[in-house]
Amino acid sequence: MISHAREEAPREACGLLAGRGGGITRLIRCANVHSTPTTRYVIDPREQLKAFRTIEGAGEELVAIYHSHPVSQPYPSPTDRAEAHYPDAFYILVSLRTGKPEVRAFRIDAEKFVREVPIAVERRGLARLLTNSPGRGH
Amino acid sequence: MAVTVRLPGALREATGGKTKLEVSAGTLADIISDIDRRHPGFRSRVLDDSGAIRTYVNVYIGDDDARAHGGAGAAVPDGSEIMVIPAMAGGSA
Repeated sequence: MISHAREEAPREACGLLAGRGGGITRLIRCANVHSTPTTRYVIDPREQLKAFRTIEGAGEELVAIYHSHPVSQPYPSPTDRAEAHYPDAFYILVSLRTGKPEVRAFRIDAEKFVREVPIAVERRGLARLLTNSPGRGH
Repeated sequence: MAVTVRLPGALREATGGKTKLEVSAGTLADIISDIDRRHPGFRSRVLDDSGAIRTYVNVYIGDDDARAHGGAGAAVPDGSEIMVIPAMAGGSA
């Protein structure tokens, strides 16, 4: 995700994470087709369809939707909240606002309430989002 | 034969947890109304007050975007598979 964010900067990078049993086994980079990609993102609908079919075909589930904030904090903006339609997925923000990338994960429920979820990287290339932690609500 | 409607997890709560439904062929609007009869409230998640597909929802009939084939009025023949997928969007602004 960090590599993707760096490569796409100053545009917002976006993509999906999929896996099984709460773990992540697949990252799918997607194209940001919004007309103002430096401050907004829309995952290419056709890539989204293809990704859903890939995930389903592999017997996996959508775990998270990630995108980057090249110059702002790694926290869901009002736009992020308004456009969130996947309450069962995590929303991961990657910020490049400082020299050190920041990565944070959240849930955004149907009422647009934001709750942060801690991320634990268990081994190289595989991360497990902790789903049982109450986190911090916003 | 029937039409298969596949829904991602985002719409699962509107259909009692079901992510796959079997319905009769017809127009997309007919199909959505059929599902709404079984699961009240589903229609308003997919169509706006004017009956058009909501801007943040993408509906595919097979590999075809329903908006390119008449939107809610698109014909959906027997044996088709529909996917109703809310858009993934946002941004820092």
